[in-house]
Amino acid sequence: MILSPEILTLLILNAILTFFAIIAFYLSLRIFWKYDKNSSAKSQYELESQSYLAATIIKYIFAIKIPLFLFFIFTLDKLSGSIVGAMCAAGVVDATDYGTPLLMLKILNLYLFAYWIVLHNEDSKDENQPYVREKFAFYCVAFFLFIGEIVLEFVMFDAIDIKSVVDCCGVIYSSSSASYLSYFLNMNQLVLLTLFYTLFLLMFLFYKLKNRYAFTLVNLFFIIVSLITLISFFGTYIYELPTHKCPFCFLQKDYHYIGYILYAFLFLGTFYGLTLAFKEREEGYKLSLFFNSAYTIGVSIYPALYYFKNGVWL
Amino acid sequence: MIELKNISKIYESNENNRVTALKDVSINFKEGELILLKGPSGSGKSTMLSLIAALSKPTSGEVIVDTKRISKLADTFAATYRRNNIGFIFQKYNLIPNLSVEDNILLPLIPLNLSEDEAQKHVKSVMEKFHIAHKKEIAVKSLSGGEQQRVAIARANVNKPKIILADEPTANLDKELSLKFIEILRELKSQNKTIIVATHDPLFFGLDFVDREIEMLNGELLV
Repeated sequence: MILSPEILTLLILNAILTFFAIIAFYLSLRIFWKYDKNSSAKSQYELESQSYLAATIIKYIFAIKIPLFLFFIFTLDKLSGSIVGAMCAAGVVDATDYGTPLLMLKILNLYLFAYWIVLHNEDSKDENQPYVREKFAFYCVAFFLFIGEIVLEFVMFDAIDIKSVVDCCGVIYSSSSASYLSYFLNMNQLVLLTLFYTLFLLMFLFYKLKNRYAFTLVNLFFIIVSLITLISFFGTYIYELPTHKCPFCFLQKDYHYIGYILYAFLFLGTFYGLTLAFKEREEGYKLSLFFNSAYTIGVSIYPALYYFKNGVWL
Repeated sequence: MIELKNISKIYESNENNRVTALKDVSINFKEGELILLKGPSGSGKSTMLSLIAALSKPTSGEVIVDTKRISKLADTFAATYRRNNIGFIFQKYNLIPNLSVEDNILLPLIPLNLSEDEAQKHVKSVMEKFHIAHKKEIAVKSLSGGEQQRVAIARANVNKPKIILADEPTANLDKELSLKFIEILRELKSQNKTIIVATHDPLFFGLDFVDREIEMLNGELLV
């Protein structure tokens, strides 16, 4: 295993988080099985105290997971300098079979933990705490995914062989690549862009209609279509190179770390959109529309500026 | 109005250090009543007050105030309940020594987000009522024990609570000041407030405006 300072930091933090996640899991299980808000027995008061402890642990795990995810991407990016062929984090992700599933799992877990926070906040707003059992049952499921992520991360770092030559992002995300991604990247760009902007407009329509389930569904598709269009179309305008299709390079200094901002907008926008499946909240609609609009404007600026500067499309 | 159902409270820092402050206590207090909780130190009087004020939770049992199960409230809701319903006079007053009389009394109003004028009106009213207005700009650490207690009483009343809890309110006062405090209690009682006083001061015993005297010993009610 490559034991760079960044990887060591990740491994140590993962070990600490796992320790606390296991404590929270044990408490969550107890609460899920035994919690009875109508009871005034000693065991119930103990469970109520433990629910504060478990909730605090889960909140702090989430608070650490967000910067840790960014640090993970930064680590992959930095690691690309040590692996032959890798030009950015994409090469490192593709260096083993575990990279892509790990990245997907990390993103999924971020959504799940954020969703847990929403559930917890809703629960804490009501003096009857109506979602205590639900939120801890939810954590019990998320816990296994979290542990899966930790294991997969360890296995991925362990499996990276710096002597092997890996593909760079240009190959991984090229249209001719044999990967399953190439199917999406080969799709007609006009169709993809129409889909992207239609989904964006549909969000406003379903907001007007106050149809939260349709709004949530649109957000779910918006994540997928946004990522595909970002790699296949918008990214090329960020790099100003039609052949450069990569979801990682714009996280680098050369591109003013713009990727972090775009991903943050997309994550927040779709996250708030997805939370509406749980509860109708005006604030949820507005935050989702705000961040998704920020993302859409953010990515749309690049081709528009390119066209105004050069008078042609890529 | 206030109902304690099968309340037990055990303070337990470890298995060898268990103190049972209340043992399966059940009792009701009616609105507008003035009740004396009597008993020696360690009999559970202060614990009972802190449970009614939602300052702590029972080990088992329930505290119900106006149909609300306050012993089941999360901390934030317990704080709101206290702010809206409880005026607590502590044995050692629990004032902030470096703040002025006025500022100490103002403190419970801060979370209510009242306008400055409205808050000042409330503060002025209670300072006058409890005869401490002339010292309003003086830091409470410079006041005598009796004056500090009047500040504590004013602070306990500034949010117009319907329940007033007093824990050994005259423990640090001489006889003359204690009698003055008893007169204040009489006045509060006339305003139909529910008042529970934990004390072992004999000056309180047998007062004509006291509705009930309840004796406690070793965490139990003596009937």
